[in-house]
Amino acid sequence: MTRVGIIAVVVAAVAAIAAPFFLKPFGIFLISTWVVLTIAAIGLNLTLGYAGQISLAQGAFVGIGAYTVALLTPLGVPFFAAFFAAGLLCFAIGWVLGYPALRVQHHYLAFVTLAFTTLVFLVLRNEEWLTNGIYGITGTQRPILFGWKTNGARDFYFLCLGVLGLLSLATWWMLRSPWGRAFVALRENPIRALSLGLDTRLYTLMAFAIGSSLGGLSGALYAPLVQFIEPNSFALGLSFNLLLMVIVGGSGNFFGPFVGALVAVLLPEWLRVTQSYYLIIYAAAIMVMMAFCPSGLLGLAERASRALDGRRAVTKTSVPTEGAGP
Amino acid sequence: MTAVLEVSNLRKTFGGITAVDGVSFDVRAGEILGIIGPNGSGKSTLFNCVLGQLQPSAGDVRIDGKLTTGVRPCDLNRLGVSRTFQLLQVFPQLSVRDNLILAGQEHQGSMASRLFGRADAGLGDTATQMIEFFRLSHLAGEQAGSLSYGQQKLLDAAMAFMAGPRLVLLDEPAGGVNLTMLGHLRERLQAYHAERKATFVVIEHQMEFVMALCTRVLVLAEGRIIAEGAPQDIRRNPVVIKAYLGH
Repeated sequence: MTRVGIIAVVVAAVAAIAAPFFLKPFGIFLISTWVVLTIAAIGLNLTLGYAGQISLAQGAFVGIGAYTVALLTPLGVPFFAAFFAAGLLCFAIGWVLGYPALRVQHHYLAFVTLAFTTLVFLVLRNEEWLTNGIYGITGTQRPILFGWKTNGARDFYFLCLGVLGLLSLATWWMLRSPWGRAFVALRENPIRALSLGLDTRLYTLMAFAIGSSLGGLSGALYAPLVQFIEPNSFALGLSFNLLLMVIVGGSGNFFGPFVGALVAVLLPEWLRVTQSYYLIIYAAAIMVMMAFCPSGLLGLAERASRALDGRRAVTKTSVPTEGAGP
Repeated sequence: MTAVLEVSNLRKTFGGITAVDGVSFDVRAGEILGIIGPNGSGKSTLFNCVLGQLQPSAGDVRIDGKLTTGVRPCDLNRLGVSRTFQLLQVFPQLSVRDNLILAGQEHQGSMASRLFGRADAGLGDTATQMIEFFRLSHLAGEQAGSLSYGQQKLLDAAMAFMAGPRLVLLDEPAGGVNLTMLGHLRERLQAYHAERKATFVVIEHQMEFVMALCTRVLVLAEGRIIAEGAPQDIRRNPVVIKAYLGH
């Protein structure tokens, strides 16, 4: 990472820690939503951005994670046990969902995962004995961590931020390891990767399972954040929104999901001053953004940085050095 | 001398078309075998059947005496068999150095140790040596996609050698490479062969390249072997001339 990049990360981290002290409860709720959905977007970025496997199922995994916690905690299961159970369950389901990816790719795979999201939605809506159907589940308790009660909006935000920090570090570690290189190879040239000894089948399943697991962990925080979950929250719209976060931020860029989630969560709220036009303006802004920076906002920033470096280099070489010349 | 690769009565059909028709040959340890033939003669299909990319319709492939017909390419690679492809197959978004580390990393430890171990899988020094060997040091940090075609061909070959294979199958390594780079590539392949005593099988159209590199040549036409022998004999063989020139 460049020096500018490190400074940007430090500034962003400080801003994320300081923000709730300057915001009203709704503002804290919004940045908590950003933190929670960033975790799901990091998972999708791993599956799609790094390993190149399109998935429209991430919203469904957020739903599975949310319902796991919402159903287990009233039974007396400690929050963090339910939290890890949500991650493990989504890992297992994600692993199974990865099998179609061994046979089909691109838009065919998109349709397989889209069908899975629809299936999960129908189960959540129709299996009332388990999920309470369209009436949803209310009152998922926020956890107590070593005596620290996270009932307050600010406390729960910091809990979510801590989880995001830990999961980001774990993901960063994985992506810098040979696994990260293998995921990129899977995206760029699976046939060559296979000929170099990479078990592409195993890495494809891993990419799906780990990405889905992060979706489940995000959902496990989402339920106590909103304290009311119902099937519509996890329908196809959320999967598309998470896809948007990854693409807008910069697919395959580690920090892309952070930026993309920020845009997808905060931009519609900032545009509310335009009243009923806000969604139209939001949609138009996304279309313009995608037309001019298909590699996402961080891709645009990288391009700008490279252009600036190039200009500096040209300026440097064109300035005559002292004592040069006849 | 023992046979590293034995191919017996290999046959591959696609619907009504027979691409490889009962081909048998073996490759001895330390040999550089060239396989030539006109376009559509079945050379690449033969490679793909030997290397598990395609399932043969009939016949056997043995590596070091062990039956490997239908074994997956990744498992064959771990047995010490490596390859290049007819078309360039580097990973354009990765650096030259990362391309090389990737080419060897699956031979290092288990999945778990690769996750928790060093980012370079302990291959940093080997990658540096390979970069120096193929004279790509000035490009080590560059993205592979930004290299010239000839440089990418060199990298492609270097990746095939990264895990120290016993048997390397090179599919048209000289294709599309300019004369200067071609000489450099041939010289590096010869140096690697002399240094490591590896066994090569090379598919190539560039006759000068084949004649200078290979110790024995097989000629394929319409999926069958029509000639076999020393490079200088093959060059004068009337059957081969007829297959290439059609008269």
